[in-house]
Parts: sequence; C-alpha cells; structure tokens
Amino acid sequence: MKAVFRIVIFSFLLYSQSNSAQQNYTPFEKEIIAKSKTIVGNPDFTKAQHFFLQKEWDSCFVYTMKQLSVGKQPEKIQNFCHFFRGFGFKEKKLFKESKKEFQLITTDFQFHNHIQMFLGEIALEEKRFNEAVNYFTEIEQLHPNLLLGIKKSSVKHNLGLCYLHLEKYDTAERYLREGLQLEEAQNDTVALVGTYGDMATLYYDQYKDKLAIPYFEKAYQLSKKVKNYQLKQNAALNMAVVEENRNDYAKALTYRKEYEQWKDSLNDQNKVWEVAELEKQFTVKQKQKEVSLLKAENKIKIAERNGLLYSAIVLFVLLGTAVYFYREKTKKNKIISAQKEALSELNATKDKLFSIVSHDLRSAVNAMKISNARLLENVAAKNLDELDSLLQRNSAIANSTYNLLDNLLHWALLQTKQSYFEITTIRLYHCVEQMVYNYRPLLFEKNLVFENTISRNDIVCADQESLKIILRNFIDNAIKFSKENGIIKMYTQNTDEKYCTLLIEDNGIGMSTALQTALLQETRLLSKTDNEAISGTGLGMQLCKSLIQKNGGKLDLKSEVGKGTKIIVSLIKKQPNG
Amino acid sequence: MDNVNILIIEDTPAESEALIKVLKAHNYTITGVATSHKEALTLFYNTKVDIVIIDIFLNGLPDGLAFAENISVVPNAAKPFVFLTSSTDRQIFERAKLTNPFSYLIKPFNELELLYALELAVEKFYNQHEVFLGEEENTVVSQDYLFIKKGKSLKKVEISDIIYIEVEEKYCSIITETEKFVILISLTKILELFDSHIFCRTHRNFIVNTKKITEIIPIDNLVLLKGDHKVILSDKYKDSIMQRYILK
Repeated sequence: MKAVFRIVIFSFLLYSQSNSAQQNYTPFEKEIIAKSKTIVGNPDFTKAQHFFLQKEWDSCFVYTMKQLSVGKQPEKIQNFCHFFRGFGFKEKKLFKESKKEFQLITTDFQFHNHIQMFLGEIALEEKRFNEAVNYFTEIEQLHPNLLLGIKKSSVKHNLGLCYLHLEKYDTAERYLREGLQLEEAQNDTVALVGTYGDMATLYYDQYKDKLAIPYFEKAYQLSKKVKNYQLKQNAALNMAVVEENRNDYAKALTYRKEYEQWKDSLNDQNKVWEVAELEKQFTVKQKQKEVSLLKAENKIKIAERNGLLYSAIVLFVLLGTAVYFYREKTKKNKIISAQKEALSELNATKDKLFSIVSHDLRSAVNAMKISNARLLENVAAKNLDELDSLLQRNSAIANSTYNLLDNLLHWALLQTKQSYFEITTIRLYHCVEQMVYNYRPLLFEKNLVFENTISRNDIVCADQESLKIILRNFIDNAIKFSKENGIIKMYTQNTDEKYCTLLIEDNGIGMSTALQTALLQETRLLSKTDNEAISGTGLGMQLCKSLIQKNGGKLDLKSEVGKGTKIIVSLIKKQPNG
Repeated sequence: MDNVNILIIEDTPAESEALIKVLKAHNYTITGVATSHKEALTLFYNTKVDIVIIDIFLNGLPDGLAFAENISVVPNAAKPFVFLTSSTDRQIFERAKLTNPFSYLIKPFNELELLYALELAVEKFYNQHEVFLGEEENTVVSQDYLFIKKGKSLKKVEISDIIYIEVEEKYCSIITETEKFVILISLTKILELFDSHIFCRTHRNFIVNTKKITEIIPIDNLVLLKGDHKVILSDKYKDSIMQRYILK
C-alpha cells in the first residue's frame, strides 16, 4: 500500500519540477540567460544554450559536445557546457551520466548551488536519502540571495520527502509544513497539490488517518482546478486507496474510475499531443515545401524579370543606336544633298563661265582678226596713217585679252590651290605705283587723271602676287568704266585698328544697286546685259573677292549710276610690333 | 658714285635684252648674261657682281634655282639675287624660299617692278629692311659698299673711298676724294654698321676714316685729312683719337 503511494508521489514530484518550467522562463532559466550573456562569438555555444532553453536535450548534447571538442576553452564556457549536459542527463533520468557531468564543473561556478540541488535530487531519485538530506540542508542554510532561482519551498519539500522516506516523521512534517506555508504564500497550486499529497502521505504512513484524509481531500479538490492529468490521476488514486482502506468500496470505485479516466485521458492527451505534434510537423513540412516552392517561384520570377529587364535594356540600346545611326544618316544625306546642290550650282556657274569666257575670247580674237585684215589692206595700200591707230587698237585688244586670260589662270590656280601664297608686309604705295605703271598708256589715251595719295608708310600684310592681281583688276575696271577726262583716285583710310582701308574711286559711269549686290554676292557671274561693249564676266571681281578673302581682308563698294564707283578694300594692317 | 653691277642669268635672248635695256636706262652696269648654270658660275666668280637676276628655269630645267642654291651656301660669296619666273608653281616656290633671303618677280613685269625687286633683294640680303621704300632712309650698308637709292635706281660707293662723314640731323654728307653727296641714314646705323677700327668720331657731327688722316693738331682741335679736308676734333673724342693715333 505504502509502496503505491511512494511511487506515485516520487514520479509526481519530479514531473511537477520539470513541468513547472513549461511556460515562459522560470527564474532559474532567466538566471542562466543572464549569466551566459557575456559569452558571445561561439555559435555552437549559442545554439547549445538555445536548445537548452527549448529543452531539446539531444540537440543540446550535440552542440555542447561540439563546443567542448573544439579544444581549449575558457573555464566558464566549459562549466556551462557541462552544466547543460548534466541538467539534460538528469532530465532524461540518466543519473550516472548527469553526476559525472556535474562533477566536472569547478566549484567556483555560478550555479554551484544548483548543482548541489540537482545532486540532491539525483540522490533522492536513487533513494540515497541521507546523502540527499546533506545536499538539501546545505542549500537550505544558504542566504536567499545566493539561491539564483532555486525555490526555497522545493528545498523544504524535498527535505520533507527525504525525512519521510527515512521515516523521521517529525522532521518531515516540519519541513513539509514550512514548504506548504511557502507554497501557499506563493499560491503555487501545482506544488500545493503535491505537498498536500505528501502531507497526507506523511500522516497516512503514521496511521494518523484523521489528519491525512483532509489533506488527501484537499489535494483532490485542488487537483480538479489543475489541468495536469498526472496530478489529477494521482489525487484520484490516492483518494481511491483511502476510500478502499476505509472500506468504502463504492466511493473507492468511483475514485478508481476517475483515476482510470484521468489515466486514459492522460494517454489520450499524450496521443493527441503526438498526433498534434505529427500534424504540426506535417504542416510545418507542408509549409516548408510551400515556402521552398514559393522561393523557387520567386527565383524564377526574379530571373524572368531580370531577363525581361536585360532584354528591354538591350532593345532600348539597339533602338537608341538605330535612331542615332538613322539620324546620322539623314544628317549625312542632308549634307550630301546640300553639297550636291552646291556642287551642281558651282558646276553650272563654271559652265556658264566657260561659255562667257570663250565668247569673250572669241569676240576679242575676232576683233583682232578683222583689225589685222584691215591692217594688211592698209599696208598693201601703203596707207601708213591708218597703221598707227590700227596697231594701237590691236595692242589694246591684246592687252584686255591678256588680262582676261591672266584672271582665268589665277582663278583656276586659286580653285586648285596650286599657287604660291605667302603673307608678307607690303608698302601699298609702291605696289600701286608698280601696277599703275602698266596702265599709263591707257590713262593717257583716255586722258584720265590718276592720283595716288596713299601714304608711303601704309604697310599691309598680304600675299604680294594676289595683292597685285587685286590692284590690277580694280585699276583696270576703274579705267574701263571711266569717261574721258575723268579722275581716278586711290587713297587709304586708317580709321580701323586692324585694317587699312584702300579706296579706288572713279567718277565714271557707276553701276546700279542690283548690279552692286550681284557683284558682292557669292559665286555669281554676270550676264552680258548692262554694258555690252565694255562689261566683262565678273570673273575679275569674283577673283578679287576670293583673293581678298584669302588675304584676310574685306571688300565693299559704293556706286551711283552716272556719278562713279568707289571700291573699298580692307586689308590687314601691319601691327607696330610685327 | 659707281653703278651697281648686275649679272643676268636668262636663257631667252629676247627677255635678257629687254632686261638689259631697262637696267641700262637706269644706270645699272651689266657684267654679263649667262644662259646656263655652268656659264653662270664662271661669270659669277670671275666678275665683280653686286646683284644677280636669275631665271628659275633655264632650258626647261630649274637650273637657275640650282645656281642660287649653289652660291648661297658658299660663305662670303653670296650676293643679293632676284628670281624671275613665269609661274607661281607652289613646289618651285617652296624650294626657292629655302635660299633665304629671296625676292622674286613674276613675268611679265614692268620696269618699276624690276627696280623694286632689285632694291628689295639688296635690303633683304643685307638685312636692313624698309630702307629704299620709306622716307626716312635711302642707304643700305654692306661690308664694302654703301648702296644708295638715287632717283629710281641704286648707286654704290666704296666705303674705303670715304674720307669723312658729316652728320646733320638725319642727313649725312659723304665726302670722298672725288665727290661729295648727301645720303639719308641715321648716325646710329653708321656707327653700328661701319667698321669701328677704321671709322671713328672726332666730333658730335664728324666721323672720320682714320686711314685718311694726314695730321692731327690737338692745339687747334683739328684733324687734317687727305685732299686738304679739315675736321674739328672735340675734347670729348680727343683722347681716344690721340691714343689710337699714337699706337699706330
């Protein structure tokens, strides 16, 4: 009978201990966390601690073993590891192993008292009650501050139990009562049920049934409020035994039945838990699968998205380059067409120039031919008076034709850039004098007055030959378009800092505004309409314009029909410093 | 004053005749007409030449240019020269330009252009620019001669013939044994270009050819020169003259 009680009580006690740590963290666990917080940077240890707190002992063993096998460790870590292992073994009821582990821990370890407590519990489990009493008494005498989460009530309770087993009922009663008081104060229902049960057992063992039965009943009543089936079962069984002993079999039977019921429900519950656990695992697996599936899907999606993005970028780049090349091409085409237009225009001009020049040449040569024929006639007739004038005319025709050809040559050279060109400093006065020298006979013939009032100190920067061509043409034109007894003036104006302005002024026939603009226009040749007799092709003008440009100068002209023309040529002045 | 001697290198007789006619009309002396490179070299080294007129193309080859290149690399032999050409072919010109200093004349040219080209050649060769065309000066100084612009043409005076020079503002009276004339040249230029071992100042206004000194009379502050010329010796220059004279 007693054996039944005892076994029931033992298992109940231990169960309550391990069970009491189910929710959140007990003060003991909090202490563990707090004390082991200082250990960082050891992933194995961290894991071991985690599993310890989760009560997954096997995993905890693995990681503590790993941590310990790494080699030399700080003592603290070693102690913790052994502590975790000892605790785990104890919970798994491998007491020998547990003891071994606890013995490996140094005595200065923070949880030394706990170890004492655990060793005591182990001794209790192994029915070495005297030894257990020693351990517990030691702890009981400790200052409460050093307990670190050890429940004083548990200590008292355990002591009580020890004495109970040692059949020292007085002492046992004393301890149990103290424990009871503390538990009542803490309102620890689960512990209370146990203690009531133990108290009842204490009295019952002493055959103090009257004292025992209320405790049994109390325990039973209280156990109804508890959800712990083991407790309920034990309480019911105890009641059944009590009733049996009282020969109240009917009641005993009900208690027995209740006991059976609790036992079943405990089993059921265990099964339910197992099933729930399995289901949980299953769902977890399912979830895991889903998660991995989703992950895979995500990966695919990301890959797809990236692929799309890259292809979009590539396409965009391609489009960009295509647009760029297209634009380049259109630009080029535009330029090409513009060039083509300009070229064809130039070509047309050239053709026109050719026809005009050849026409001019033909008429000049023709005039010479006719003149020569007349010359021959006169020579044959010995009409010597005529000869002089005819020769004069021939010479004039030859001269103008030569000028035309000369301009044509220079124009061609300028177009092909074959001519020598070197900018030097030139004294304008002397250059003009040299050029006018050739025209003295013509000036004389037309009875023109020529005034060169250019300062001898006017020095310009130009290519000598091109300057000569320019001057020749303008002087030639001035003479050509002057009336008899006219005046041709050449002078300079030095109003500009950069340019020296040369003016060639005549009081000849002048030209219309339209003609002036036409002359100043780019690549423009004149048709022979205005002055059929004396006007040229405009080739000379064109040549001068190009040459002045090449010399860095500017050309302008002012003219009025019937009053004369003023040609304004701006040439770069020689700067004082060079 | 002497005429300037000109050597003509021209293969076309008509053109050389026209040149001679113009040059003679302006008191130039023609020392010879060469028609080939070889002949030109012979004439150049055997006659006293002041300026050479060179036709670039002789018998269709740029031998004139070769001649110019030839003489311009011989030290002390080179003389001022003018190129004649009928084309402005760039390649030829680029080559001709290497015989620096060079002046050129494009055919056809008139006499003014020719005379101007001669003057320019002298100016360029003796590196005394803007002399003949400006109004300030009219004389280019070479090692042995003064080239003086007189009218439209150039004249020359042998420097060793000069007895003394009298400076009056920007004019200088040049006195030789046979003549006396006025040129336009700055005093600084004379002092810079004349050989200072031979010519030295005796007075602010006088530069004397020391080789022409016959006597120095320090008491009267006078220097007697060949041809009975007298020049004032001022105190400022007395010491240097005396020293030089005594050393001799």
